[in-house]
Amino acid sequence: MITAEHLRKAAQGESRSIEHICLELWEPLYGFIYYRVQNREEAEDITQDTFVRTLTYCQRHNTQPDNIQAFMKMVALNIIRDGWRQKQRQGKLISFEEAKPLETVAADEQKTIAERMQIENALTQLKPDQKAVLDLRILKGYSVAETAKMLGKSAAAVRVTQYRALQALAQMLDEHD
Amino acid sequence: MDNKENILSEYIDDLNREKKPENDCYGADPELARLCETVKAVKTLKEPALPEEGYAHRLAQKVALEMAQSSREELNEKGAVRLNKRNRTARRKPVRPGWLLPAATALAACVLIFAMFVSRPGIFHTDVALAMQQAVGQLSSYHGVLEMRSHNEAGQEWLVRQVELWSEGDKYAIKQSDGTLTVNNGRQKWQLRPQKQEVALLPLLPDPARQGFDLRDEAARALSYPHQVVGSEVIAGRQASKMRISPPGGLEYYLWVDKETDLPIQLQTAMQNALQTTYTFVSFEANTQIDPGIFDYQLPPGFKVADSDPGQIVSTVEEAAEISGFIPLLPEESPSRILAFASRIVLDYGDTTIVEKVAQGVFEPAANSALGTAAGGPLEVWGESLRWRQDGIEIQVSGAQRAALAAQIAPGLALPEASRDLAGQARVKVAVDMDIVKADQQQADRGSSPWQLDPLQVSLTFVNLKVSPEGIVGEPQIGAASFKTAINNGVQAVVEVSAGPVSKVYLKRLVRQDETGIWSVVGYDPR
Repeated sequence: MITAEHLRKAAQGESRSIEHICLELWEPLYGFIYYRVQNREEAEDITQDTFVRTLTYCQRHNTQPDNIQAFMKMVALNIIRDGWRQKQRQGKLISFEEAKPLETVAADEQKTIAERMQIENALTQLKPDQKAVLDLRILKGYSVAETAKMLGKSAAAVRVTQYRALQALAQMLDEHD
Repeated sequence: MDNKENILSEYIDDLNREKKPENDCYGADPELARLCETVKAVKTLKEPALPEEGYAHRLAQKVALEMAQSSREELNEKGAVRLNKRNRTARRKPVRPGWLLPAATALAACVLIFAMFVSRPGIFHTDVALAMQQAVGQLSSYHGVLEMRSHNEAGQEWLVRQVELWSEGDKYAIKQSDGTLTVNNGRQKWQLRPQKQEVALLPLLPDPARQGFDLRDEAARALSYPHQVVGSEVIAGRQASKMRISPPGGLEYYLWVDKETDLPIQLQTAMQNALQTTYTFVSFEANTQIDPGIFDYQLPPGFKVADSDPGQIVSTVEEAAEISGFIPLLPEESPSRILAFASRIVLDYGDTTIVEKVAQGVFEPAANSALGTAAGGPLEVWGESLRWRQDGIEIQVSGAQRAALAAQIAPGLALPEASRDLAGQARVKVAVDMDIVKADQQQADRGSSPWQLDPLQVSLTFVNLKVSPEGIVGEPQIGAASFKTAINNGVQAVVEVSAGPVSKVYLKRLVRQDETGIWSVVGYDPR
């Protein structure tokens, strides 16, 4: 349970309150970020950055958001999108002041559920060898060499199949959008 | 990697290793970027990889540290000093710290070294402070040789030890001059002992090295230490700024910061108990490539394994209870890690560790410990550790939060009151010659007459000399079983005697008031 008092003290840098907030909130936030970056290293770093930016925001504006979890997810989205923007990708930043955290994050949550269903569906429509390569390489985490051995292909053939499979999958997902 | 298939394949490999992709495709070809996004989309069907044990606590510490740095940065911005964009980015990069040094004393020194990194500006020389912030922000690994020298008030100096250190993230390795190598890779801890041709598998917890030194905890703790640049000196062949640090309520000590690398290279403790210790990095390579093999556990040919119960990390207390055969007593606060052994359970709180085991035999506090009370019985207070028995379990709490955590397990726990004047209650005062006491203390410091560190032994000698003033020959007339420590607050003690002409002996630590201080009789009650 996070109270306004916890937030106020944490924003002032009080270590016990910071610890309490981190212990309470890290897991859903980490899961939310991981879903978007798909690697632990980046998810850990962005989780840390999200806590710092949220508390800094609370400190500078002397405020405690009503729904801190939703607010932090919005901050995390901004950090991720900021990264994309720096790399010339799209990603609109959400202003803290203008944002409606609940709506922003809820919309994103609904989108992820729908996306997952689309991906599962699209995978079933790939050619068997393409599906097998993506399954071994991405879902099971095997190396190119291991995948090649298991499928009786050369490493180069695995890379080509993998590329084409992802092209086909991206095409299907784009069409759906 | 020069074609799209290879770039994409490497991207997948990075994600499979749970690393941030080196080439994230975004700045390149739009199609490649779209395919990288598709890889991530497919991977969402997998369960997420969770951080390693204890992540939440480490996260909290890093956030606290970042918040502190952020406040300081803001203060600086209000002054004329501004960090440029590049420096902000460098500092913002989450710290994966770990300066871990070997023996507890060396660690204590480095605690101070790192504490210095985050000191409050305004009192400190601003340029040096900023440079240190940036240097520590960019420190992810290091290799160095640390030398520890002591000198006494008489001006004699000697080399205590020299160790070689490797540190990367949470991993560390420490090599002593006799070749003993201690390694903690975050999952396993072991010690390679070449002289005995053996490898000891050590419990991950408690880890005195880690407990004695944690950047995040100590950084937060040290925020209010005032400091000042007081000069410039050459240390280990390098130009360094010398700074004086004044911990509130503590003794001043000094830190030297390398002018070229902006990293601290030497620390000198205050003169305490007639001893002053200096820790110097005689060599230091920051952010260096460390051979990952050093953190891999391998049993060298011809070596045997000395200990086969290094314990195992478990997720719940129930699991720990199943392995250890008893249910531990828990404080309200949850530990960050639980380690279970065949007969004991260790709860990790970062800077504090609780070790519990089934109580066996009679509880005997260490002879030179202070005594309080816990759970209706005696509480041993020794150094940074508390030990007592409760509900058939022996509990030892060591580290910074020991008092708070112990009180959560044993409500009503009472620490000894060092300010209480016990000696004043003695009916007969015993005159003390301080020259003799100081000489005795030096003798004990050299390892002679260790019995003087034990108030029971000192009382036994005193009382038996009353009975046999000519000297004790053979077994003392009034045996050890007649002596019992009634009170010991670490500075003064009262020993009750059940036989002979004396009923109570009053003692004091006159030269040094810690575990290394000898006891002297300052009074007694005749029977």
